[in-house]
Amino acid sequence: MNNLLIKLTPAQWCTNSHIRTLLVMGGATMIAVLVAIVMIISFGVPVSEALEAFADGAWGSPYAIGASINRSLVFALVGIGFVLANRARLTNVGGEGQIAIGGIAATAMSLYGGCENLPYGLAYIVPMLCAALAGGVWGAIPGWLKARLGTNEVISTLLLSFIAIWLLYWCVQSVDLLRQPMTSGGTLPESLTIPETTQLPLLWPDSGLGIHLGLAITLVLGVVVAAVISRTRFGFSLRAVGYNPQAAKRAGVAITWTMVAALAIAGALGGLGGAIMLQGDQYSLKAGFSSGYGFDGLVVGLLARNSITGVFVAALLFGFMRSGGINMEMVAQIPAALVLVVQAIVILILAGSALWLSRKGEKV
Amino acid sequence: MSMELLAIFAASSIRLAAPLIIASAGELISERAGVLNMSVEGMMLTGAFLGVAGASITGSAEWGLLIGVLGVIPLALLQAFLSVTLRANQIVTGIGINILALGATTLAYREMFGARSNAVIPGLDKWSPPLLRDVPLLGSEVLNQVWLFYLGLLVLLLCAVVMRRTALGISLNAVGVSPRAVDQSGLSVTWLRYGAVIFSGMMAAAAGCLLSIGNIHTFTEGMTNGMGYLAIAAIIFGNWKIGRTALACLLFGAASALQFQLPLLGIQVPTALLIMLPYLLAFIAVAGLMGRQTAPAALTQPYQR
Repeated sequence: MNNLLIKLTPAQWCTNSHIRTLLVMGGATMIAVLVAIVMIISFGVPVSEALEAFADGAWGSPYAIGASINRSLVFALVGIGFVLANRARLTNVGGEGQIAIGGIAATAMSLYGGCENLPYGLAYIVPMLCAALAGGVWGAIPGWLKARLGTNEVISTLLLSFIAIWLLYWCVQSVDLLRQPMTSGGTLPESLTIPETTQLPLLWPDSGLGIHLGLAITLVLGVVVAAVISRTRFGFSLRAVGYNPQAAKRAGVAITWTMVAALAIAGALGGLGGAIMLQGDQYSLKAGFSSGYGFDGLVVGLLARNSITGVFVAALLFGFMRSGGINMEMVAQIPAALVLVVQAIVILILAGSALWLSRKGEKV
Repeated sequence: MSMELLAIFAASSIRLAAPLIIASAGELISERAGVLNMSVEGMMLTGAFLGVAGASITGSAEWGLLIGVLGVIPLALLQAFLSVTLRANQIVTGIGINILALGATTLAYREMFGARSNAVIPGLDKWSPPLLRDVPLLGSEVLNQVWLFYLGLLVLLLCAVVMRRTALGISLNAVGVSPRAVDQSGLSVTWLRYGAVIFSGMMAAAAGCLLSIGNIHTFTEGMTNGMGYLAIAAIIFGNWKIGRTALACLLFGAASALQFQLPLLGIQVPTALLIMLPYLLAFIAVAGLMGRQTAPAALTQPYQR
């Protein structure tokens, strides 16, 4: 990379696609950080104090690091699904709802599905699989509608998200569904805590990091999806459907099946993300469970520009940013909404320069 | 259901539908011109905040409204610049602007009013049409709405006439179907689309003001809570026709009003289901169960000379 920079004149920089990507990413980050600093100052908080609070929350202790990484797993799962569906030019905006549906399924199975006493770790595996299945079905619906009726998947996945969020709300409000039994007037509208056997085991129990099995699962799934996208027949079908559905059909690709499968897999990954949130750190289902992580995951998928490695990088970035932002609100009284503004700036700059980035660069 | 309850139901249906009607009328113009302005949610929120901020600073709700409607223009220009000039993905830029608006209004509100403020802001007056004013229930309850709603209806009617009868309307329709033909006839695709996006932003901001300084006289963080997306769904429900879109908004409003009405009638339905109902109806409409939808041919497609 350094060689490349030296060999080229500034005018040529803008024609090389790698350098252009670097320029845009760097520029977006710099502008976002500048805006953040200006806003911190306008809140009357010393910048050093705010940054210290941010750093403490993001990576100040082993526990903070673990929490940031656990958080980024959900972003990564939704992001991986987004990238996969995006291969077929399908935009999955439904991560938020898929997380909610996964959370509902995992809670139901952990508490009332008889998973508590299953042997060999099945106690926590079965709820996760059910959550993935439920999320997959939830994701498959827009896929089928798109393939059969031409329904725009952006709007349908988005509307399904709102429906899922209120379904979850209903589940935790109603004693007949998942709400804990009412023992007093002060019983909170949330589910019981799931049994210990159904909670995800920690990877390094003695380290104080608190990182759970979800990390291993996410890494494996990331590698598998990357391989599926680039090396399998299905991955090829995805791209064919994305580029030209008519031609793909002539070439014998089953369009309906490919679209349904793409969005179903994305949904299943979102549902699994919900299960990991529940069984990994929240342990009980509450209203507002999905906490906007589905939208963060979508942004992670966008930023990754179709690369699974990119998903992991962006997910980690967002995980640390979220943790830091939360701590900044608690310690330095700067609203965590600051992180939203920073995210939005990055999204808008990247979206605006997408055309310039994808233009073919000169070979060097 | 007694007459009083029916009147309350009708009144709250209209009150809940009003912001949707205004926002979707603006959004419809933008979509007819070929730009899917997904940021209507964020623009409503921005308008709602600027309206409250303006009303609280000037002490007058009318000035607040003006500040809200004009203050959203830079945001609309940003959306137009990204999606028309830079030809970015309209859905992505829309979601980006929504996140920006949510973050920025939350920050600005905390900065101005503090974290847990219930400051009451001067609000817009209510009004009901002169001749019907004295009809019992109808005048005093159903049609007694914030005047901005009636102004919105007037603009909506104006839109319908302009789109159908004027050269401007024909050009706007054409630019959403065949921008190349419009370009070749010597009109500017860019200006038409910029204009349509700015108009939709101003209408969204007016709808936001109706929510904040019109209905509850204060601002709450993220108060639009998905209404912008419902406005977009209403357009699909209404098959990109102005009248039908407004009717769809009324239907969504009535569905939302049920959550207050059914408990009064002693009917026990989970609140969550009722809040979900408009989204469910919208989903059914979008899914094409209401007949085939025909979007403007060049919707979401950027134009390059």
